Amino acid sequence: MTDSKMKAHPVFPEHSGKSFAGKAVLRRDLKEKVTGAAVYTVDVVPPGCLHAVVVRSDRAHARIIDVDRSEALAVPGVVAVITSDDLTGLFPRFGHIVPDHCILAIDKVRYYGEPVVLVIGDDLYSASDGADLVRIEYDELPAVMTIDEALAPDATLVHEEQYASTGDESFSAMAAAPDDSDTALPATDNITHSHELAWGDVQAAFAASDVIVETLIHFPMLYGYAMEPYNSVAHFTDDGLHVTSSAQHPYMVRTDLARVFDLPLAKVRVDVPYLGGGYGTKSYTKLEPLAAIGAWITKRPVKLVVDVEGAIYTTRADAAQTRMRTGFTSDGVILAREYEVILESGAYADNSPLVLAKAVNRAFGPYRVPNIAGRGKSVYTNTAPASSYRGFGAPQGALAGELNLDQAAEQLGLDPYELRRRNLVHPGEEILPGKRGIDADLHADLGMLEESLKRDASDQPMHGIGVGLAASDAGAFPVSTAIVRIQTDGSAVVMSGATEMGQGSKSVLVQLVAEELGIPMEVVQVVQSDTGAGSYERTTGASRTTTLVGLAVQRACGDARRKIAEMASEIFECTPDLIDHLPGGISGPDGLSATFGEVIQRWFGAEAGEVTGVGTVRREGVTQKMPPFWEVGVVGVEVAVDPETGFVTVEQLVTVADVGFAMNPKAVEGQDLGAATQGLGYSLYEELVYDGPQIVNPNVVEYRVPRMGDLPKKIDTMIAQRGDGVGPYGAKGAGEGALNPMGPAVASAIARATGKWPDRLPLTPERVWRLMNGLPEADDLG
Amino acid sequence: MLPPFGLARPRSVSAALAELDEDSVPYWGGTELLLAMRMGLIRPRQLVDLKGIAELTEVRIEDGELVLGAGLSHDEVARDPLVAEHAPLLAYAEALVGNARVRAQGTIGGNLCFAEPRSDVATVLSALSAEVRLVAADGTDGADGTDGADGTRERRLDMAAFLLGPYWTDRQPDELLVDVRIPLPVTAGVYLKYQTVERPTVGVAAVARGAAGCRLVVGAVGELPAGFDFEDVASVDAEAIAGELEPTPDLTGSILYKRHVTAVFIRRALAELAEKVSAP
Ligand SMILES: Cc1cc2nc3c(=O)[nH]c(=O)nc-3n(C[C@H](O)[C@H](O)[C@H](O)COP(=O)(O)OP(=O)(O)OC[C@H]3O[C@@H](n4cnc5c(N)ncnc54)[C@H](O)[C@@H]3O)c2cc1C
Repeated sequence: MTDSKMKAHPVFPEHSGKSFAGKAVLRRDLKEKVTGAAVYTVDVVPPGCLHAVVVRSDRAHARIIDVDRSEALAVPGVVAVITSDDLTGLFPRFGHIVPDHCILAIDKVRYYGEPVVLVIGDDLYSASDGADLVRIEYDELPAVMTIDEALAPDATLVHEEQYASTGDESFSAMAAAPDDSDTALPATDNITHSHELAWGDVQAAFAASDVIVETLIHFPMLYGYAMEPYNSVAHFTDDGLHVTSSAQHPYMVRTDLARVFDLPLAKVRVDVPYLGGGYGTKSYTKLEPLAAIGAWITKRPVKLVVDVEGAIYTTRADAAQTRMRTGFTSDGVILAREYEVILESGAYADNSPLVLAKAVNRAFGPYRVPNIAGRGKSVYTNTAPASSYRGFGAPQGALAGELNLDQAAEQLGLDPYELRRRNLVHPGEEILPGKRGIDADLHADLGMLEESLKRDASDQPMHGIGVGLAASDAGAFPVSTAIVRIQTDGSAVVMSGATEMGQGSKSVLVQLVAEELGIPMEVVQVVQSDTGAGSYERTTGASRTTTLVGLAVQRACGDARRKIAEMASEIFECTPDLIDHLPGGISGPDGLSATFGEVIQRWFGAEAGEVTGVGTVRREGVTQKMPPFWEVGVVGVEVAVDPETGFVTVEQLVTVADVGFAMNPKAVEGQDLGAATQGLGYSLYEELVYDGPQIVNPNVVEYRVPRMGDLPKKIDTMIAQRGDGVGPYGAKGAGEGALNPMGPAVASAIARATGKWPDRLPLTPERVWRLMNGLPEADDLG
Repeated sequence: MLPPFGLARPRSVSAALAELDEDSVPYWGGTELLLAMRMGLIRPRQLVDLKGIAELTEVRIEDGELVLGAGLSHDEVARDPLVAEHAPLLAYAEALVGNARVRAQGTIGGNLCFAEPRSDVATVLSALSAEVRLVAADGTDGADGTDGADGTRERRLDMAAFLLGPYWTDRQPDELLVDVRIPLPVTAGVYLKYQTVERPTVGVAAVARGAAGCRLVVGAVGELPAGFDFEDVASVDAEAIAGELEPTPDLTGSILYKRHVTAVFIRRALAELAEKVSAP
């Protein structure tokens, strides 16, 4: 039977009469998380499990001369003390773009906090007592701690060899570069990766500009604080390697692990119970190889849990220094933008090359820019390695792009809304040539934003309003699969490799299946994130789950329905075109009908069997054009500044979530408010501070994250639903949008309140006070 | 991680005193102690858990003093009716300590004995001229104080004598802080703090004294609370006082900035005090 023979009969007509999709349903995981019953990786302790403790480097950059493990090994209960010397026969590094990341430091350490030795004990006490007794002898090397030091002509090299890295788009569909260690070229500088974007004639356009505005701005080094720090448990069985981990992308972790142990992908199983938040920091491989080498050496299950400090020294977000220059006509039309983003990426590449490419793509904004020259560098330094962080380069890029527009608005005598309106693209217009046109109505969104902000604006002194817009080429590379299994009683199991990380995907998948099959949500069960029992998913990132996994689930439901219809036509001995869809079942000829369960039971001839529907998504059809969708960010704030202390109060926070279709409006609001609040975090409070080789605030008491008391006085989270996405019912992703342009919105609001333009975030009270008083960033105490 | 330790659970002060030594230390809320142990800064053999001693959580008026048991949590002090009536300034400050967990678990005794410089409690108690009562088992060579009841020795110290520096008090290892005593009546006062992270950057307490004067205590910004007495509030030079202090620079502020906000908060506190005193 082919599709064309089936009667075209959507279960539910477009946008109306939906029973489950679009409803603010209670989250599936709510109760067990609130009561503490939910299982996280930390709760998984296999029988006979050993415990690992990491001995970290206490130098920024040093050659390892000797590791003395004798005292540690003498501690009762210590089972193994592992260094990179013990990894003979394994591929000792990982990294999905360039495999430069040592599992345990090889020959030298590249940052304070780098894992050097893994101590394994019967329990945590013996392992940590053993860890205290490992003696490491180093030969100190000069360290490069900042962008300037790393780019100095005679700078010490963080990596002596160059690793091949690929261009953006998909990073050759994101496969890691092949092991090039034998043929590696010697490195000549500390540049991890470069990226460029160019069209038009920038030189000529600047020459023709009436007004040219230049901005230089620093984006802080951040930690994407998730309540659950990294942890993994690994063991080898006759079936291969099994790792349970706090990972956003279990399938990508599987690839790294398969390379380390030279195992077929099928023999590596990575599963993820609930994830206690991720914000991008749990994308890609983290502790999994450490736990796995522990299990490989001891031949027992090994569990590794780090604290917040250990997590910060595992992954943090790229700091950035961005220069943006824009040429305008006298009435504020953009003629050209020229810019450079430099990311301070730490000791290993991890995902920074992609973050860089995205920062360059996302710096110039959703505007008509006829001439562009954008460049970016990601730079190695002897600091904790940086990788993905919510927004993926957009916060770093948009900060310069948007702040520059606000400075221009001041010079051009235009208000920030009007300047944006004069340059903002309309729906369908391309901002990256050859890519998908913008699938959002930003003019309408900006109108909603302006209306709300102006409604409650105060004209008191030391108050200021700032707005920010951003557009992210989101969705990542469109590869997704899903399986829907209809049972003999009409209930259904949906299997997806997408991770429930607190964003509510579990509920969204249930809503979709219930909607598509016409069955109650109560009879839909979800199996997620298990490479050994489920369905493939590339990543849970780039705000893609509802849109791309949603499409795969929708298609899997369609496939299951098709199979049921085929079975029914056999049962009813009729041609397939006489079978029609009903909620939870089918109708046949002569007024006959049957539920899914009845069809399955009659076809198998027993109260047994099931129907499996499979759905896939690839670069084809609606997802042919890249990116799969644009995630826009539309935010505004009003701030009040204490003229004496520089303390900033956020009076208003307004966001527009332009999501096409809100599968669960409550979840969309939560995502937008969460993203906006995290954005306020890096704008006003958060910054990892290095003093010498080491971070001075590697904990959440001193690394100041937003708290309930910081919540703005007025919060207006609006949702725009225009059905303009490629996902189910016109959905697009949410979850990063409001974070991306929050920095420039806050910075320009403070600039309007104080009359001074800042050159760095976060705008802590002291920074604002110094800004107001024309004082330097720090005092010369010498 | 938390290292292993022994745990004693005495039910009376005298039983607790019998357990105390250099390596066997008092433990109440653990909000500071357990963190320090987790970080490996101290590794006592035994913790003496004081939570089973009822008399350490009493509030009463005795001999013209408001007596607060050392084991009262910040929340309990903030909500106590006697404190609200006789020392509302302390109740107000206690309600603003740290965060909900710290207020529920942390005690005034623990706060004073740990002597973290960024304390609200020490600042306010200094302004209220409070004293602490320390008790040790008799016959020990601890302090040269007066004899207490029931085979114990005890001494009373005011805040300046008790707090010697950051994380440093005059408490001897065999001594227990049993209560805090605030002389009554307490005059009108204000407490204002500037806090952007978990602990205050500066706390300013000002209590009316005489017709136009005040006692001013500036805490949290330097190593110890600094007290000043003025005959006339109007004559106070906030900049000069701030200039005398030695702020500890940290992530919440440089020396320059901390001096500046100290002066701002002294001015604000004195203005508020003047308003309070002049109000009917
Ligand atoms: C995140 C955070 C934020 C904070 N914010 C503030 C703030 O804003 N303002 C503020 O003032 N404080 C703040 N604190 C400090 C807090 O007030 C103290 O941690 C708390 O009051 C200590 O009491 P505890 O019972 O937990 O002491 P413990 O941790 O149990 O003990 C602390 C020390 O005192 C000793 N000790 C305890 N009780 C006695 C006793 N009766 N006699 C003798 N020795 C004793 C212990 O041996 C130990 O050395 C903060 C603390 C944290 C962790």
